[in-house]
Amino acid sequence: MSVLEISNLTIRFGGITALNEVTLRAGEWEIVGIIGPNGAGKTTLFNCITGFYQPTAGRVAYRGTDITGLPVHKRTALGIGRTFQNVGLVKNATVRENLATAQHLQVSYDPWAGIAGGPTTFGEERRIRERSHLILELLDLRHVGEERVADLPYGVLKKVEIAAVLATDPDLLLLDEPGSGMGPEEATALGDTLLELRQQFGLSIVMIDHHVPLVTRVSDYVYCLNFGEVLAEGKPDDVRRHPEVARAYLGTEPETEPEPAPEPVPGPEPDTTPTLVGGAL
Amino acid sequence: MSDATRVLPVVTDASAPPATPAATPVVEQPWRPSRGGWVARGVVWTLLGWVVLALPLNVLSPFEVGVTDVDVASLAVIYAIGALSLNVLLGYCGQISLGHQAFVGVGAFASAYIVTNLQLSFFLAVGVAALFGAVQAVLLGAVSLRLTGLYFALVTLAYGSFAQETLFGITSLTGGEGGKPAPRPEFFTSGYRYYYLCLAFLALVLWIDWRLTASKAGRAMAALRENPRVASSYGIDVRAYILVAFAVSGLFAGVAGALVAHHDEVIVPSSFDFRLALLFVLMTVVGGLRSRTGVVLGAIFFALLEEGALVSMFRLEGFFEGLLGLPTEFVSLVVGPVLLVLTLTLYPGGIGQQVAPIRLWLTGHRFDRHAGAVDDVEVNDVRA
Repeated sequence: MSVLEISNLTIRFGGITALNEVTLRAGEWEIVGIIGPNGAGKTTLFNCITGFYQPTAGRVAYRGTDITGLPVHKRTALGIGRTFQNVGLVKNATVRENLATAQHLQVSYDPWAGIAGGPTTFGEERRIRERSHLILELLDLRHVGEERVADLPYGVLKKVEIAAVLATDPDLLLLDEPGSGMGPEEATALGDTLLELRQQFGLSIVMIDHHVPLVTRVSDYVYCLNFGEVLAEGKPDDVRRHPEVARAYLGTEPETEPEPAPEPVPGPEPDTTPTLVGGAL
Repeated sequence: MSDATRVLPVVTDASAPPATPAATPVVEQPWRPSRGGWVARGVVWTLLGWVVLALPLNVLSPFEVGVTDVDVASLAVIYAIGALSLNVLLGYCGQISLGHQAFVGVGAFASAYIVTNLQLSFFLAVGVAALFGAVQAVLLGAVSLRLTGLYFALVTLAYGSFAQETLFGITSLTGGEGGKPAPRPEFFTSGYRYYYLCLAFLALVLWIDWRLTASKAGRAMAALRENPRVASSYGIDVRAYILVAFAVSGLFAGVAGALVAHHDEVIVPSSFDFRLALLFVLMTVVGGLRSRTGVVLGAIFFALLEEGALVSMFRLEGFFEGLLGLPTEFVSLVVGPVLLVLTLTLYPGGIGQQVAPIRLWLTGHRFDRHAGAVDDVEVNDVRA
């Protein structure tokens, strides 16, 4: 059974069709990459999966159940966690406070018991703090725990965001440009982290990124969107070499330079698609 | 797999078996004051306690003329509860309420009705008043759930005047313009005892407010105030928690209303006018949004100003009345907005920001005069 199954998803804003008949699936333990030029509808797709947008037509299913009409917070409760393109964190709070907030659904006491200061709430708050601590340790972020989010650089925030979304205890992780604002080395490290996290938490991951080398390295399957439609899909390298994909990105004929990139990426690799790095910034 | 709660600690243990002690967080030893430091703090605490508990007794009051009237002190405490009520909405949730006089008024009339007409006990009446306050707040919240910022403020403004003109005018319930008697409970008829009763209620409200901010509901409110999208992606039901905020705010306001009713011993609808709502906004914002200490101090300041106690304490009648031609009862309406502008432009953290270094020092931290600085003016503090 696939974790996420999107069938014939269409969304229109006024006269503009942002997504047209998009069909996409992500299996258990799979990392699915979504690439595509700016304005292709990638983030809109995420917004439909998480429930910020209601699709005009089509269906979103999570582990076989139709979730198309569910509100955002209920989808989070089901295990869908997401990060945002422009950093989805509470900016005036510290990193630790953000992690505590993200564990909202893990807190066992009733909100009213918390407000009344019930005896169980104190121990539970301690447990939440310790869990935040563990997550920070896991992602090597302990040193920024007490920093205010607004004071941290963008690259670190992208990692903090992953920590926060992990704190929501997801099964399916939707990452919106996790590698933006990162250099090639950092992106490689991010790829390792993602593979490791999948291993440790048994996650399925859908990620949007413009950093094509990162996407091709970690993904099991890649979709390329353009103008709201799936332009190409398949194994990472197939999609990468797909003539339409190159045309969509570069606007030129593709076959001029096939360039079979080496499978393992050794450090700062010669970027085949340099224009795309951090393209959304 | 859905419970990584359990998976997580196991995983870290497995990945680093020799470092299992690291699983229990290594807390760096925090800074501790020396013995002399503790003594100094103790002295200040004692002084503060003495001021709060004994100042209204007038025996050792540093200002012999000013706060002689213990009733003014009680009123200040009640206003503090009301301001903390608004702080839940405006500070924690970013919903500006300009109809808070109605919140308080509902509690006041509910309590007066129960004690006078039903002849039930005062404490039951306070409980019911709190409940009434919560219910009417939740109703207002449910109606205006989709509104934020100015539009929400307008709805509360309308609700405030509706309550004042219509709701509080129902003679059978509120006694109409003649007012409704609200006698004090048996043991607490004297001014001092009533003052201590109000203090006890303030302590209770402060406790609840503290636990609110320290638990999941407070975190949810902080998140949804700043970024409702992120909040909902954290699994927070944004609308439900806005209603929780309304309920808590109404609860506090109901308590304040009941206390103010029995404080005045007779209540009239006209005392719950827009000016009261404005005062609450001033207390909360000038006091410092989200700062308990600040809001309480702000409330005390404006209560004393409103009652003319500050003016007479510092013998400023000559200045305000003689020089500016301003009667004492209007001083707060002139001084308040001036302070409001100063707060918004210079010290967005209000009084809470000013006293933060002292507060932190008192709670055993190192003295740092920059502590608690609010460096970003949160222009969009009210959810737009």
